[in-house]
Amino acid sequence: MTAFLELHGVVKRFGGLVAVNDVSLSVEQGQIYSLIGPNGAGKTTLFNLISAVFRPTEGRILFQGQDLTRLPTHALARLGIARTFQNLAVFKHETVVNNLLVGMHSHLRSGPVAAALFWGRTRREEIAARERVEEIIDFLEIEDIRDHPVGTLSYGQQKRVELGRALAISPKLLLIDEMVSGMNQEEREDIARFILDLKDELGMTVFMVEHDMGIVMDISDHVCVMNYGRKIAEGTPAEVAANQAVIDAYLGSSRSAA
Amino acid sequence: MRTGHFKERTAQLVALSDSKVVWSFAGLLLALVLAAPFLIGNYQVTLLVSAMIAIVGAVGLNMLTGTTGLISLGQAGFLAVGAYTNAILMMDHGWPVWLSLPAAGVVSALVSLLVGVPSLRLKGLYLAITTLAFAFIINHVILYAEWLTHGPNGIFVSGAKVMGVDLQRGKALYYLTFGITVLVVFAALNIQRSRVGRAWMAIRDHDIAARVMGVDLLRYKLYAFMVSSFIVGIAGALISLQIRFVNIDVFALILSIEALAIIILGGLGSIAGAILGAIFLSLLPEAIRLFFDAFADTNSSFYTTYVYEIRGITYGIVIIAFLRLKPEGLIGLWRDVRKYWSNWPLAY
Ligand SMILES: Nc1ncnc2c1ncn2[C@@H]1O[C@H](COP(=O)(O)OP(=O)(O)O)[C@@H](O)[C@H]1O
Ligand SMILES: [Mg+2]
Repeated sequence: MTAFLELHGVVKRFGGLVAVNDVSLSVEQGQIYSLIGPNGAGKTTLFNLISAVFRPTEGRILFQGQDLTRLPTHALARLGIARTFQNLAVFKHETVVNNLLVGMHSHLRSGPVAAALFWGRTRREEIAARERVEEIIDFLEIEDIRDHPVGTLSYGQQKRVELGRALAISPKLLLIDEMVSGMNQEEREDIARFILDLKDELGMTVFMVEHDMGIVMDISDHVCVMNYGRKIAEGTPAEVAANQAVIDAYLGSSRSAA
Repeated sequence: MRTGHFKERTAQLVALSDSKVVWSFAGLLLALVLAAPFLIGNYQVTLLVSAMIAIVGAVGLNMLTGTTGLISLGQAGFLAVGAYTNAILMMDHGWPVWLSLPAAGVVSALVSLLVGVPSLRLKGLYLAITTLAFAFIINHVILYAEWLTHGPNGIFVSGAKVMGVDLQRGKALYYLTFGITVLVVFAALNIQRSRVGRAWMAIRDHDIAARVMGVDLLRYKLYAFMVSSFIVGIAGALISLQIRFVNIDVFALILSIEALAIIILGGLGSIAGAILGAIFLSLLPEAIRLFFDAFADTNSSFYTTYVYEIRGITYGIVIIAFLRLKPEGLIGLWRDVRKYWSNWPLAY
């Protein structure tokens, strides 16, 4: 049986730099899978490869048996793959509602002419989309800011909007890149709770890059560790925490593991 | 103090506005504009027609530059394509105006692919330069493709009759322009609140995130070029009907700058802003003229001698003042005023 998400010998070079070096891994459906490693280890690059923002130099990435490396970036939303970005990537001039509605893009059909008329199907699908967005707003507890331009919100709120926008895709696989850095403890706990709910209630598969070891150890089913572009260890949270190579990567190097 | 009110049905949430006040104001305004030709003189009617054409052009440009974030200096070119298409089809091929007018939009939209496709990967200033080059090329074609455009001679445009009514005359032209303006504004508002408009603004604010959300960047940029140029082409056709003549001088490159000035002044990305900006900038020359009439020595020919310089300088001052003091444009100013009055007399 093919795994939900499989990476085979994935390599990404930027000129002379090998940001991702021969990484293979597989994520099972319904898992919370965490990817950790020091800064510059290649985690974000790996996410960019999986979400088809970059093309791998070598290797294959299979989602439910389908090779993602040949697809245009915009085709992935329809397959059910969503992601958030390490650095804010919101549509900052638009309201929270509109940001989330962009996430519904691949579920809607109307082209420019139908949109200009705003009749029949266009109207119905807009109403349905709006209802779905209100559900997400409820889930993420952001009712009070729904009509605010996202650029005016706090960092933690903008992150939450990004999560909501990804959820609007109704993804099967959700990639989350360092969601909680820069958040306070309460906001972190909220996010951890949301992720657990997504897994438990919707059966969503969550693949996350996270520096907060508390969250990683608490909610992950499986942890993978990268350093200098290579995978150096993987296993359950307890196994990884006891792994000597991991301890060396974090403690032995002078680089921050913040 | 008015507060946000609870909306009971989602249908209300997707409505253009569910406020009775907004619709009543809009209705009142429409009634006034409809009655205007009977209340004011011919000269003022002409001014209003120009202002409405400016609205159509600005709403079109705003889709491309304000909503999608693709800076275009090609406005003069697309206006020219629309005007010439209308003029050539009407005068050289005998098309009725009700066919040549939409055809002007279609041809302009198709021509926009010529500039859109090669510049899909360009942004910011590079795109601005490319669209400027496009406007130059159109100028060149107008001058040298004499078999098509009659070159420097231009084309006189007359006989735009529908059921015996000459659409180029006073009230008829006014109502034609008014009808088109209303249609264009509603279409633009509808696009803005739907999937296509949101894809455009997503491209403007963060193109990588837009792609990850499923937006096909190239397709939606081309949509922006085509829809925008369709509308601008119609504006061009209206210009040809109003001034009854097209030649190279009518579509000078300064038109591109003026159109950008209008949407910057109004507030980029806002349809209401584009409307306000268009009204403001098309009535500004008139205000300047009245000012000189009132205060300058009646024998002085200062104004008539320097009319273009005075207009240019005034545009410049107004634009700089807005960019400095009110970057969100006239629509931002309007929001502030509204906020002030809805909170009044409570300080906030
Ligand atoms: N677009 C890019 N061009 C060149 N180098 C890059 C690019 N993206 C990332 N890198 C480099 O790849 C390495 C891995 O970066 P990244 O994947 O962001 O690490 P992490 O997310 O684990 O902190 C770093 O050395 C970084 O400088
Ligand atoms: Mg990173």
